Amino acid sequence: MNLPLHERAVEGTSPELVRLTGLSLGESGIVFPEVVSSLLPERRPGPGEQYRFHFDMTKCIGCRSCEVACNEQNNNPADILWRRIGELEAGSYPETQRHYLSMGCNHCLDADCLKGCPVDAYTKDPVTGIVLHSADACIGCSYCVWNCPYSVPQFNPERGVVGKCDMCKGRLDEGLEPACVHSCPEGAIEIELVNMAGWRADYALADSPGMPAAEQTVSTTRITLPKVAAPGTESRGLQRIDLGQLQREHAHIPLVYMTALMQAVAGALWVLLAWHALDALRLAGLLAITALALTLSTLHLGRPAYAYRALKMWRRSWLSREVLLFTLFFGALSAATVVTAARQYGFALPGWLPIALHLTAAFLGILGTLASAAIYLVPARPAWNTPYTPADFVLTAAFLGSLLAAAFADLLPALTTIFPLPALLTPLTSAFAAPTHAFALSLVCAAAWLVNQALRAWRLHRSTVFESRAAWSLLSGSALLPFTAGSVVLLLITLVCAATLHPLLALAAGFAAVLLSRYLFFVTVVPLSMALTFVRSRPAAGAHA
Amino acid sequence: MSLLTRVKRLVGIDTRQQKYSYAQDPVYGKVATARLADTWVKTTCGYCSVGCGMLIGVKDGKAVAARGNPDHPVNRGKLCPKGLSEHHILDGPGRARQPLLRKNGVLVPVSWDEALDTMVENITGIQARHGLGSLGVVGTGQLLTEEYYTLGKLVQLGFRTPHNDGNTTLCMASAVSGYKLSFGSDGPPGSYADMASADVVLLIGSNIADNHPILCTRVGEGPGKRPGRTLIVVDPRVTKTAMMADIHLAIKPRGDIALINGIAHILIRDGLTDPAYIAAHTNQYEAFAAYVAAFTPEHVAGITGLPPDRIEQVAHLYGRAKAGFIGWTMGVNHSSQGAVTVAAINNLALITGHIGRAGAAPFSITGQCNAMGTRESGFTSALPGYRKFDNPQHREELAQLWGIDAEEIPKARGMAYPDMIEGAVAGNIKALWFIATNPVVSFPNYNLLKQALESVEFLVVQDGFHPTPTSDFAHLVLPAAIWGEKEGTYTNSERRISKVNRIVTPPGEARPDFDIFLALAARLGVKEKLYPGWTTTADAYAEWQRVSAGRLCDYSPHSWADIEAQNGIQWGGERLYADGHFPTPDGRALLHNVPCEPFTEQPNDEFNFILNTGRTVEHWHTRTKTAQVDMLNGMVPNAWLEMNPVDAERLKLRSHDKVTIVSRRDKVTDVELRITSIVAPGQVFMPFHFAETNSNRVTLGAFDPISREPNFKQCAVCVQKSSAH
Repeated sequence: MNLPLHERAVEGTSPELVRLTGLSLGESGIVFPEVVSSLLPERRPGPGEQYRFHFDMTKCIGCRSCEVACNEQNNNPADILWRRIGELEAGSYPETQRHYLSMGCNHCLDADCLKGCPVDAYTKDPVTGIVLHSADACIGCSYCVWNCPYSVPQFNPERGVVGKCDMCKGRLDEGLEPACVHSCPEGAIEIELVNMAGWRADYALADSPGMPAAEQTVSTTRITLPKVAAPGTESRGLQRIDLGQLQREHAHIPLVYMTALMQAVAGALWVLLAWHALDALRLAGLLAITALALTLSTLHLGRPAYAYRALKMWRRSWLSREVLLFTLFFGALSAATVVTAARQYGFALPGWLPIALHLTAAFLGILGTLASAAIYLVPARPAWNTPYTPADFVLTAAFLGSLLAAAFADLLPALTTIFPLPALLTPLTSAFAAPTHAFALSLVCAAAWLVNQALRAWRLHRSTVFESRAAWSLLSGSALLPFTAGSVVLLLITLVCAATLHPLLALAAGFAAVLLSRYLFFVTVVPLSMALTFVRSRPAAGAHA
Repeated sequence: MSLLTRVKRLVGIDTRQQKYSYAQDPVYGKVATARLADTWVKTTCGYCSVGCGMLIGVKDGKAVAARGNPDHPVNRGKLCPKGLSEHHILDGPGRARQPLLRKNGVLVPVSWDEALDTMVENITGIQARHGLGSLGVVGTGQLLTEEYYTLGKLVQLGFRTPHNDGNTTLCMASAVSGYKLSFGSDGPPGSYADMASADVVLLIGSNIADNHPILCTRVGEGPGKRPGRTLIVVDPRVTKTAMMADIHLAIKPRGDIALINGIAHILIRDGLTDPAYIAAHTNQYEAFAAYVAAFTPEHVAGITGLPPDRIEQVAHLYGRAKAGFIGWTMGVNHSSQGAVTVAAINNLALITGHIGRAGAAPFSITGQCNAMGTRESGFTSALPGYRKFDNPQHREELAQLWGIDAEEIPKARGMAYPDMIEGAVAGNIKALWFIATNPVVSFPNYNLLKQALESVEFLVVQDGFHPTPTSDFAHLVLPAAIWGEKEGTYTNSERRISKVNRIVTPPGEARPDFDIFLALAARLGVKEKLYPGWTTTADAYAEWQRVSAGRLCDYSPHSWADIEAQNGIQWGGERLYADGHFPTPDGRALLHNVPCEPFTEQPNDEFNFILNTGRTVEHWHTRTKTAQVDMLNGMVPNAWLEMNPVDAERLKLRSHDKVTIVSRRDKVTDVELRITSIVAPGQVFMPFHFAETNSNRVTLGAFDPISREPNFKQCAVCVQKSSAH
C-alpha cells in the first residue's frame, strides 16, 4: 500500500488514481506515466455523506476559465457569474504573494439561503447534499441573496428569479465533471465526498482568507491554502484587494415604500385607538394605504403573479411570517372597517366586536412590523443585523403613526371639501379634532427615531466588522450625504410643521424623511461576500428594484 | 415580442424556461440547450500562438459552443477563457459587413467592385506619381499561412513594392533576429513537450499565466507537474507566472542581458559548460568566454538588483540540469535590445549543450496564432521558406518555382513596419494598407502614428471589425472574414502546423482575405501569373508546400488531411538541431558578445516612473475581438495602473483614484489606480488593450536596430491624479 504514487497509478488499483496516459519523453527513452488523479469521487455519496468542492489555491493561476465555462454551461448572461474568481495579496515587493479564489456555491450544511426562502424553492438534495434551487418555485424575492454570506445566489432580471451553482448536478449524476472542474487547466477544482457529521465537528479547512467565516452556514468547500495563508504559519495574511471601492446595493424602492407605509398604518391604528377616533372612514383610509403598500410589495418580486406563494414557509421563514401577519392584518382591518361601518349605519352588533377587531388588527400590525424587521436581521448583512433595525421599524411606526393619526383630522375635511361625500356615506364620518397633545407625541416619537438612527450610524462607524464600517462610509460619503442630510432636515421641517399645526405638511415631510432614511438603509448595506477581483464591472447602483 | 409575452414576463408567468433549459449532448453530457450543436467542426484557436485544438459546435448555421479538443496534444481538451468563448466573436455586433469608401469625408457603403477598383486605381496612381515603393503594406499574424503567402506575392510581385511587413514586428521580430544571429536561421528549436520534460525551466520576461495559460499545465502545480522540476521566472513584476515559480528573480527592468551573461560567467567559471558541444558546434567561444568574464556575480547583482547568491543558485541549477529549457516572450522581445538578448539566451543554451535534446531548448513563446506561419511564408524580413533577400541563389530558386524573372524579386528587405510609419511622416510612403491589425492602439507613440495615418494619400484598412480606432482613419474599409470563416493553416510556437476550418459564413458582404487578394491581383492583371488556376487557399498551400520543400521549415510532406487527422504536425519534428548542425555556412552556431546597455529612456526627477506594459488573460491585443464577448469585457472592462504602495503614499494617491500618466510625448487620462506590491517602487504597469486609455500614447518610439521591434516595455512617465471633470 505504501508504493510510490506513480507505481500505484501504474498498478491501477488505487481508488484515488484512475486515469493514466503514457507520455513519452522523447529520445531519453524514459516513459513517464502522466498521472492525473481523478477530479471526481469514485462512488456516489453514502449515508451521512455529501459531495463538496475542493479548491486548491496552490494550483490556481487565476486564468478564469472556470468562470467562462460555468456561464457557457448554464447560458447565463455575462453579468451573472455563478462561479467567481477573487484575488488576494500579501507581503511587500519583491516577496509579494498573489493568490486566487475560485468559488461557486459552497453547498453548506446549514444553508441560510434555504432557511430563509419563503416558497421552499431550495432543497438540500438528500443523496448528494447539493443545495438545489428551483426556478419554477422561486418568486424572485431575493431573500436568499440577502441571506447567503458568500453572495452566491444572484437575481436574474431577465427571468425574474434567482439562480445559483448546482454543482452541475445533471452532469454529476451521469458521472461527469461539473463544467468548472472540467475546464480548469490546472486541476485546481475537484469534487470530493465529505462525511457530514465529521465536517460539522471540524470544518477548519473551509476557512480561507477572502472568504466569510465558514461557521455561519458550515460551508462544505475544502480549500487548500498556500503556505503563506495556511493557519498557524507566518501571519503575512493574504488580504482582499476588492474592497477599496464600495458599491451601493439595490435600493428595493417598492420595499422602501411598503415598509414605511405599513409602519405608518400600524402606528396610526394604535394612536387612533388610544384617541378613540377609529371611525369607519379612518379605518377605510388605513385599509386603503395597507392595500397600496401590499400591492407595492409585490412589485419587489421578480414574479408578482406568484406573490401568494410567499405564505408557504411560515414555519421557517421570517419573510413568510411577515407576509402572513400583514395578510391577517389586512383581513382584520377589513373586518374592523366593515363592522365599524355597520355599527355607524345603525346595525345592531355587539359592542365588543369592533373593539376586539380593532385590537386584533392593532396587534397584528405590530407583530407584522416586528416580523418585517426580523427579515433584515441576517448575519450576512451586518449593517442590518443589529437591534437598531427592529427599533427603527417600531419607532417609525410610532413617528409616522402619530403624524398620520393627527393628519386625519385635517385630511378628512379637506378631502370632503374637494370630493363631497355622498349622502349614503355621511354616517361614516365623525367629527374629531386631534388632541392637543398630538404634537408632543410626534415630537417624542421623532426624537426617539432620530436618536435611534444616530446611534445606529455611530455603532456602524465604530464597529469591528468591515462590512458595518463600510456601511458607515457609504452613509457618510459624499455621494449619499445629501440623502442623509436631507432626511434630518426633513425631520426638522416635520417638527416645525407639527408645532405650527400643519399636520398634513408635517405628515408629508415626516414621510419623506423616513423614505430617505429607508432608502439609505437599503443602499448602504454592505453584504458579506467572497473576495473578487480589483477591476470588474460594477452594476449601476439600484439596478434591481 | 408580443404584448402577451411582455405581460407574462413582467408578472413572472414566463421565466424563459426554454432559454435556461438543459439538454443532453451525446459526448459532453448535460449542458445548456443553447450550447447543443448539430455538428462539431474541428479547428485551431485563433487567439494566441499556443495553438489549442478546439471543437466548435454549429447549430442552424451559427456557432453556439466552443470546447477544447481532448485528443489534441497541445491542450488536451483545455482552453483559456478566450478560447472557451471564442464562438461569440463570430456574430459580434462590431463585425465589418460591407465595403466603405470615404466620400466627402464620410465613410459610405460601396460595392466590392467599386471598392477594389478604387483601391487599385488609387494605389497604382500613387505609385505612378511617387514610385512603386510609395506603397507600404502591414499584414498580420492573424492571417492564414496560405493568405500571408498569397499577400506577399501580391505586394512584392503584383504591386511591386518591397515594403511588406507584419504586425508581428511589434511582437516577435526580435526572436526571429536573435535566432538568425545565433543559428543562421529562424525556427524555435524546441517544443512544448520539452517544457514539460525539462528539469529546469527558466522563463524570462514571459507571463504565460496571463498570456499563454494553457502552457502553464506543463510547468505549473497542476496534474502535469514533474517531481523535482524547478521553475524559475525572471520578471520585474510579480506576475501570476512568477507566483507559479519555485524561484522568482524580481529583476530590474532590462537587467536580463546582465543576468544571462552573468549566468554564462558562472557556468564557465565553475566548469558547468559542455566543452565537447562547444568545440564541435559553436564558433567564437574564446572571445565569448573572455567577454563574459567581466560579468561577475557582484557586477551583475549591481545591474539586476538580484542577490549574488540567487544568481549563483540559478546558474548552478541551469548548468547542472539534465535538460534545461529557456522560454521567453515579450519581456525580451519588446525592447530595442531584443534581438541581442535572444542571442544572449542562445549563448547559454549553446555553451551548456541545452539544445537539440529532450527538454533542452532556447524557446521563443510567440504571440499570435499564426505569427510562425507568417515568419516562414512571409515576404517580410525574409523571402518564403527562410530564404534571404540578399542571396542570389535563393532568389533564383524562387524565380524558377514561380516561373518569373529573378530580377522581379527584391534584392533587399523593404521597410520594416516602424520604418513605413516614419516613411509616411517623411513623405516617402504615400499609401498604406493595414490588414487585420489596429495600429492606433498597438503601435508605440500614437502621435507619430496619427501623423503618418493623416499624411498618406490613401489608407486602406482591411479588417473583420468596424469601426476600429484605425478604420476611423481609413479612406477605404474592406470587410474581411475572420477565424472561423475561412480554411487553411496556422503554425504555433512549437512549429506545429494546425488546420483551421470554416465554421460559418462571414457576415454581410465580408469576404475572406484570400478572395480579396485574388480579386486585387485580377485587377492588377497578375492573377494568372502569380496565382495560376488558384481558386481556394488549398491552391496556395500546394504552392507553399513546393516552395518550402527542402527548407528548414519544410511543409511539403504534410498535407492538409494529415495535419487535420493528426491534430497538427510539427515541421522539423519534435525539435531542431538534434545533430548539432546549424544552418550557417560552416554548420556551427555563433556565440555573440552581447553588451548590456541601459534602456533608452531612463527616469529622471520629472518623469520618475518606469512604465511597463503588458496583457491580462481576459483580453486579446487591442480588444477588437474580446470586446465583442460580453463576458470577457465584463470581467475586465477597463485598464488599470499598478503602483507600489510606497509611491502611492508619496503621491497621496488612493486605490481606484483616476490617474493620468504623462510622458514626454503625451498622456493617458483616467486610468484606475491599483495600489499593489505586484510592482516595484519606481515602476508602474498598465495593460495595453484599451483604446480608451491607450498606453501607446505615452510609450516610446524606440526600435531595435536589428529586428525593428519597438521598445514597448520601458519608458519614463510621471503619474498625477486626474482632474475631476
